[in-house]
Amino acid sequence: MLETINVSKSFKGKKAVQDVSLYLDNGESVGLIGPNGAGKSTTISMISTLIKPTSGEIKLNGANTINKPEKIRKILGVVPQELALYQELSAYENLKFFGSIYKMKGNDLEKRIQRALEIVGLADRQKDLVKTFSGGMKRRVNIAAALLHRPQILILDEPTVGIDPQSRNHILETVRALNEKDGTTILYTSHYMEEVEQLCDRLYIMDYGEVIAAGTKAELLSILQAEDTVKAELSKMDEAFIQQVKTIDGVRKAEASHLQLKIIAKKGSNLISELVHLADQHQLQIINFHTETPSLEDVFLHLTGRTLRD
Amino acid sequence: MYRDWLNLVSEKGEGIVKAVLWAQFAKDKRNPVVILLYIAGCILAALLFAGGVQSPSVIAIFSEEENASEIEKKWEALLNTDDSLQFVIVDPEEARENVRKGNAEVAVELMQMDYRLIAASEELPSVSYVQQHVGIVFQQEAQINAVESSGGSNVRQEIENYLEDAPFQLEARGLDSEAVPQYNMSTQLLYAFTFLISMFLLGFKVNNVTNDKVSGVWNRMILSPVSKTGMYSGYIFYSFLITMFQLVSVLIVFKYVMNYEIGDNLWLIILISAFFTFSMISIAMLITGFVKSPEQFYAIYPSVIPLVPLISGAYMMPGTITNSALVFIADLFPMAHAMEAIMSVVFYDAGLQDVMMSLMVMLLIGVVAMGIGINLMERRRG
Repeated sequence: MLETINVSKSFKGKKAVQDVSLYLDNGESVGLIGPNGAGKSTTISMISTLIKPTSGEIKLNGANTINKPEKIRKILGVVPQELALYQELSAYENLKFFGSIYKMKGNDLEKRIQRALEIVGLADRQKDLVKTFSGGMKRRVNIAAALLHRPQILILDEPTVGIDPQSRNHILETVRALNEKDGTTILYTSHYMEEVEQLCDRLYIMDYGEVIAAGTKAELLSILQAEDTVKAELSKMDEAFIQQVKTIDGVRKAEASHLQLKIIAKKGSNLISELVHLADQHQLQIINFHTETPSLEDVFLHLTGRTLRD
Repeated sequence: MYRDWLNLVSEKGEGIVKAVLWAQFAKDKRNPVVILLYIAGCILAALLFAGGVQSPSVIAIFSEEENASEIEKKWEALLNTDDSLQFVIVDPEEARENVRKGNAEVAVELMQMDYRLIAASEELPSVSYVQQHVGIVFQQEAQINAVESSGGSNVRQEIENYLEDAPFQLEARGLDSEAVPQYNMSTQLLYAFTFLISMFLLGFKVNNVTNDKVSGVWNRMILSPVSKTGMYSGYIFYSFLITMFQLVSVLIVFKYVMNYEIGDNLWLIILISAFFTFSMISIAMLITGFVKSPEQFYAIYPSVIPLVPLISGAYMMPGTITNSALVFIADLFPMAHAMEAIMSVVFYDAGLQDVMMSLMVMLLIGVVAMGIGINLMERRRG
C-alpha cells in the first residue's frame, strides 16, 4: 500500500535520515521505534509529504507521492507530536475548523465531529476550551482532529508523550480499536517499547537516522534466541567488578543501573559460576539473580548498546 | 461582493479563507480586550501626543503694586493675545507657592511698566517662551506710551485704525487661486499615532502565521486539500479586516464623537488607510520571513515599528527631513506615502486622482514585501 525506498533527508549537509526503506500493508499496525533524535519524526514528515526527501522514493500503491502529494494526503491522517490545536477554542470549535478545511460542512461535518469525539471519549466535554483540558485530553483532541476525514492510514507521532497512565491507556485502546474494528492502517512511532509491543504487528527500529532492524515481534526477539539475559542485584556497585564481568567468556554486554546489573551473554556460557566467583573476589554480595526472557527492549540494547530512553 | 468572493474561493476548493477567518475571529471573540485596547490606545495616544484636547498653557500673573488690581486687569487684556498662552490673575502668594512646589514652571509679577518672571529655573523651555511673549507685549506698550508722552494723543486708536487699512496687505493664495489652507500639525500627529498603533495590531495578527507554524496547525492545513495561496490569503485577509475595523472605528470616533479636524473626504481617507494596511501587512510578513519563532517576532517587531513614523517624518512638519538618504529610506516604507496622501486630502482637498501615485507606490511596496516574505518563509520550511 505505502512504501519508502531508500529515503534520506539532510538538513544543512547533516544527515537526519539515511536510506530508510519501510512498507505498510493495508490494515496493518506498524511501529517505528527509536530513541529521541533517531529520525522517526523526520521519516514520518516525509511519508506524510510535509517535507521532501533529499533522495529516495515514497510510493502509494506503486505511484510516487513526492511530486504529487494530493493522493496520499486524501487518505492520510496525521497526529503530530505537538498539540496542533487552538488552545483558545473549544474541542468542538477546533474540530469544526479542521473539518471545514477538508471542505466538510453542514450535517456531514456535525456527524463527523460527534463521531470523532466519541472515539476519543470527549463527547461530553466538547464545549470546553482546549486550554482547560489536561495533557491527556488535549492529546485525545489532537487525535480526533486527524480522524475527521476518515483516513485510511493514520500516522501517530509519539501520541502519549507526557501524559498520565489513564489517558495513555485510553489512547492505546483508541488506536487499537481504529485498527481492529475500522481497519485503519496504523504507523505508530514511540520511544516506549511496551506501547509498540502492545499495538503493532510489525516493527522498525531506528537509531541515528537508520533502520537497524525490522520484522514481527517474534522475528526481532529471535535475534536474542542465542543469548541469555541475566539480572543480578548486588550489595554495592563496583566499577572494577563490572569491567571484569565484561571479560567473562560469552558476555556480550553488561550494564549497571543503581545496584542492578544486566548481563547479556551467549547461551550456555558458564556465567553464573563465574559471576559468583568474581563477586567473591571483589567482596560483593549477590543478593539475588534471575534469568529473563528477552524483551524487545533487550533487542534494542543488543543492537545499539543503549536503552531506548538513554 | 465579499460573500461572492468567498463562494468563488470555495468553489475552487479554497474554503480555507472562510475557515481561517472564522477560527481567527473566534479566538479574538474569546478575548476581545486586546482589540479594544488597541482602539482605546489609539484614541489615548491622539489625546496625549496629538493635542486632541489641546488647551493653552495657563500662566499666573499678579501684581503687588498699590494699584494692583488696575495693573493686573490692564496687562491681562494686553497679554492674552496668543492662543497657546492664557494669562490668569492669581493671588501673589499662591503663584509663588505653585512655582516653588513645581506645580507651575513660571509666573509673572506685573508692575506699572515693567515685569518680573518668577521661575524655578531659567532652563525650562516654557520660561523663555513666556519671556519672549511678555517682552514683546511690554515693548510695544512702552513704544506707544513713549509716543503718547511726546505729545501724541490717542495714538493707540490711530495705530489700530491704520492697521485695519494698511497700505500693504498680504494675502496668500495657492496655485489654484484658492486660499492657502492652514496646516494643522495636530491632525498630522493624530494620523501618525493612529497608524503607529494599527501597525502593532496588524503585526501581531500576521504573527499568527508563525504561531500556527510552531504549534503544528499550519501542517494540518498543508495536509488538507487546500493550497498555500488559500492559507496565506486567510491570514492576510483577517489581519487586514481587523486592522481596518480598528482604523475605521478610531476615525469615526475622532470625526463624529470628538469632532476633530480629520478631513471631509472620509471615504478617500479610508481607502488610503486600506492601501497602507495592506502594505504594512506585507512588511510584517517580510519580517516574519526573517524570524524563526513567534517570540523572535515579538522581540523584533515592536523595536522596529516605532522607528517607521520617525523615519517617515510623520512627527515633523512636512519638509523637515531634507537629507536625501533619509528621504530615500522613508520612501521605502508605506507610512511616508500614506501620510502624504492623507495630508493632501485633509488640507488641500486632493481627490482620488491626486493620491493615485501614493496608492500605487504603497501597492508596489506591498506586493514586493509580500513576495519576498512568503518566499523566505517557504524556503525556511525546506
